[in-house]
Amino acid sequence: MPKIIRGFVRGVDAMNYFIGRFAMYLIFALIGVLMWSSVSKTFFEPTLWTLEMAQFIMVAFYVLGGPYAVQMGSNVRMDLFYGTWSVRQKAWMDAFTVLFLMFYLGVLLYGAIGSTAYSLGHFTGEPFAFFWDLGVTLVTEGPAAAKDKMGFIERSPTAWRPYIWPVKTIMILGVTLMLLQVTAEFFRDIGRIRGVEL
Amino acid sequence: MPYEMIAILMFSSMMLMLLTGQRVFGAIGFVAAAGGMLLWGTGGADMPFSAAMKLMKWYPLLTLPMFIFMGYVLSESRIADDLYKMFHVWMGPVRGGLAIGTIGLMVLISAMNGLSVAGMAIGATIALPELLKRGYDKIMVTGVIQAGSSLGILVPPSVVLVLYAMIARQPVGQLWLAGVIPGLMMAVMFIIYIYVRCRMQPELGPPLPPEERNVSTREKMRLLSAGLLPLIIFAVMMVPFVKGWTSLVESSAIGAMAAFVAAVLKGRMTREVFENSVRNTLGISCMFMWIILAALGFGAIFDGLGAVKAISDLFTAQWGLDPWVILILMQLSFIVMGTFLDDTAMLVIVAPLYVPLVGDLGFDLVWYGVLYTITCQIAYMTPPFGYNLFLMRAMAPPEISIRDIYRSIIPFVAVMVAALAAVMAFPQIALWLPDLIYK
Amino acid sequence: APAIVRAQAPIKWRMQTYAGAALGAEVTKPAVDYINAAANGEMEIELFYADQIVPTGELFQALQRGTIDAVHSDDDSMASPTPLQRFGGYFPLATKHILDVPVLFNQYGLADIWREEYEKVGVTWLSAAGQDPCNFNTTKEITSLEDLDGLKLYTFPTAGRFLSQFGVVPVSIPYEDAEVAVQTGELDGMAWSGITEDYTVGWADVTDYFLTNNISGAWIGSHFVNPQRWADLPEHLKQLVMAGIEAGHTYRDQWYWGGEARLRAQGDKLKLRTIPQKEWKTVEDAALTFWDEIAEEGEVHAKVVKIFRDYNEVIGNAGPPYTFE
Ligand code: NA
Ligand code: NA
Repeated sequence: MPKIIRGFVRGVDAMNYFIGRFAMYLIFALIGVLMWSSVSKTFFEPTLWTLEMAQFIMVAFYVLGGPYAVQMGSNVRMDLFYGTWSVRQKAWMDAFTVLFLMFYLGVLLYGAIGSTAYSLGHFTGEPFAFFWDLGVTLVTEGPAAAKDKMGFIERSPTAWRPYIWPVKTIMILGVTLMLLQVTAEFFRDIGRIRGVEL
Repeated sequence: MPYEMIAILMFSSMMLMLLTGQRVFGAIGFVAAAGGMLLWGTGGADMPFSAAMKLMKWYPLLTLPMFIFMGYVLSESRIADDLYKMFHVWMGPVRGGLAIGTIGLMVLISAMNGLSVAGMAIGATIALPELLKRGYDKIMVTGVIQAGSSLGILVPPSVVLVLYAMIARQPVGQLWLAGVIPGLMMAVMFIIYIYVRCRMQPELGPPLPPEERNVSTREKMRLLSAGLLPLIIFAVMMVPFVKGWTSLVESSAIGAMAAFVAAVLKGRMTREVFENSVRNTLGISCMFMWIILAALGFGAIFDGLGAVKAISDLFTAQWGLDPWVILILMQLSFIVMGTFLDDTAMLVIVAPLYVPLVGDLGFDLVWYGVLYTITCQIAYMTPPFGYNLFLMRAMAPPEISIRDIYRSIIPFVAVMVAALAAVMAFPQIALWLPDLIYK
Repeated sequence: APAIVRAQAPIKWRMQTYAGAALGAEVTKPAVDYINAAANGEMEIELFYADQIVPTGELFQALQRGTIDAVHSDDDSMASPTPLQRFGGYFPLATKHILDVPVLFNQYGLADIWREEYEKVGVTWLSAAGQDPCNFNTTKEITSLEDLDGLKLYTFPTAGRFLSQFGVVPVSIPYEDAEVAVQTGELDGMAWSGITEDYTVGWADVTDYFLTNNISGAWIGSHFVNPQRWADLPEHLKQLVMAGIEAGHTYRDQWYWGGEARLRAQGDKLKLRTIPQKEWKTVEDAALTFWDEIAEEGEVHAKVVKIFRDYNEVIGNAGPPYTFE
């Protein structure tokens, strides 16, 4: 396999391993927030933010941890036939079916980008142009001018009213990482077909 | 395109996708995304992501990683070992006694956990090797562990019943209570089956050799106290919830914390145990969450394209049928779909379709929740697709082949179907306890 | 919008309401049924309920992008990105009766503001109407303002913001989950509706008390449509849609007005409780302060608050039955 592809696979694996290991420990943040919620309710005042905070942590947990879970092979497959195939046969089939998965992730990413643009106040449905414009403005004219490009910043309709764009940004990041991981898996399968373990 | 065509097209392409052996969330997600792009029209491409926001807001799912973590802590730290020894010593002299004891162990684990993962992990790591060592029939014991662990979703607490409660808008407390007696009844039915089978074929489950049976009464009593641990964890988690001091998700976090603290206090929380528990929690949680994400997208697109309406029309067109016939047809279709779909996918795709119909037919939705859960248990262990099957395959020692695993479930699925029929015929099995407490 | 269009196929809209199925059957479905029947096959609206196709929080974007063609909701629930978000749903103590809402829109100029503001963000506003008052139904008894302290209530964002000064902890979850959330302990009740809805959607089964004091006399909600879909509609069908919506309003006015009276007087699931008017005055005063705060937020906010002030002055001078004393 070309060196660049080996490098890509190794790089993606390492990055997602690192991020996934970080996401893995979010389980304790989740337990902590919910424990605090119980404690504060019993002894002080109920909190405004814990349930929603827990939901945000949960999103980070499963979205950022997803690629690492793919590395670990945690994703189930229906292996009625699959289970009986050889490594090479599996690689052939996977190299093909992974394209469907990429398509799904691509659509998911498209939706995430549109929704994040919306949460930054962009309403006309051209999210890529918006982000491009935003980026260019940020670089050429500075943060204040970029802020002006944004419109109504979406907040969660709760009493706590957190901004929504951070969690949507995490989703963009997570889906992108997943897409990279799946691409790495694709190359790995191609490698297996050629008899090389990447 | 006619609605029926859309329904058939989407369902059959999903089945086809699944059969290629690709990752389940990819199969479901692809059909959802393709349906959104090709059939929806304007804005259809936004649908898969909007499912992510729906998922975020579905707060009972926060219990999922909590229960998974709890299950791994209980199994990896082997704090259930004493519990297993207790059953081992007490039940050992009986023919098939260790298998019967394993069912008892599974009932206790079920009371501490809302999923079947914990029971599977504990059963496969602790009970299975011991059973095999003692000459128990590998096919029977494989079935025992899969069937026993599936009680995790029927005996409270149960994540499946919470998710059902959200869809059917039924009280969680009553649903959990409704699961108690059917859960215990099913455990007893498993035990009767094992006992009778071992009477007929003693070689399947030999009693313990005498030298292993010679345990002092004092030691026996000491081991009995091991049974206290699950009771304490159950109480720490459930009492504040039942009393209304903490909410459901908070209680699940308390349960996870309690299991963790218990493992630390018993000196079992080694670096390795910690690493395995945390890493496996991430892996299994991600598996569930990505499937639910894809399935929610599929469900919304399927529904928005009118396919849901087409299927309910199909049922409503049969209004002439007796409601019971419709109900039985539904359960049969659930079992058939359950062989192919996983229970979370069934929950978000099929349940929203069936549950209102069951209500319209005049059936009690708490009772139906129990029927639904038993069907999920069956789905868990029927090939080709079932979590317990997968977990078993991942955890079983090499001498147990896939064929063994598939064969092992047959008698237990038969017992479950019998239990399902019993609860259908006598709704009081499920409803007596909640009625007693709430009315 | 379906991509596959055959010759003379009916125009199809997907519409999602903020209400769950049980409530939607009364507040949204009658208008849809009327339009579908009267359109004689030229048009068909498929109705979906709360969170069925997209989560309510994403509803507005879905409407802009055409994922959903039409929406029935209040501005607050659907997280409207306009200044009007504060006023839809329940603006604290701004109205007394259900008919105040159409009067405010059609005689005092709110309709023009709504139409204009939504046009700016790419959505066509069609019509607004009133619904029930915003009372409390809870598992815990409320007889004084102190009892509100620490209550976790399912409520509208703006109402929640207002109520938090009395110690209420507003909780935001999907509409259909609220009933179970009372049972899982996530909620102590709702500050969401009048008593008719409590009985209709099953909340009366999980809570015990109904507080007769309301923090707003009528819900404000609207029908919206994707601009492109509206433009594509022939003139006679536009008229038909508007007529259907009006018919829905009329049905709803009666359903709520009759329901509130009958269930307070004869309902047996919720015990009525009242905070004495003297004490409740604190809340009414706080509402006026809250109005000032909201008016500070912007030009449009100030304009709408002024209209509420003018109207309340008129009905205050008119006296009963426009006011309570
Ligand atoms: Na359980
Ligand atoms: Na199955």
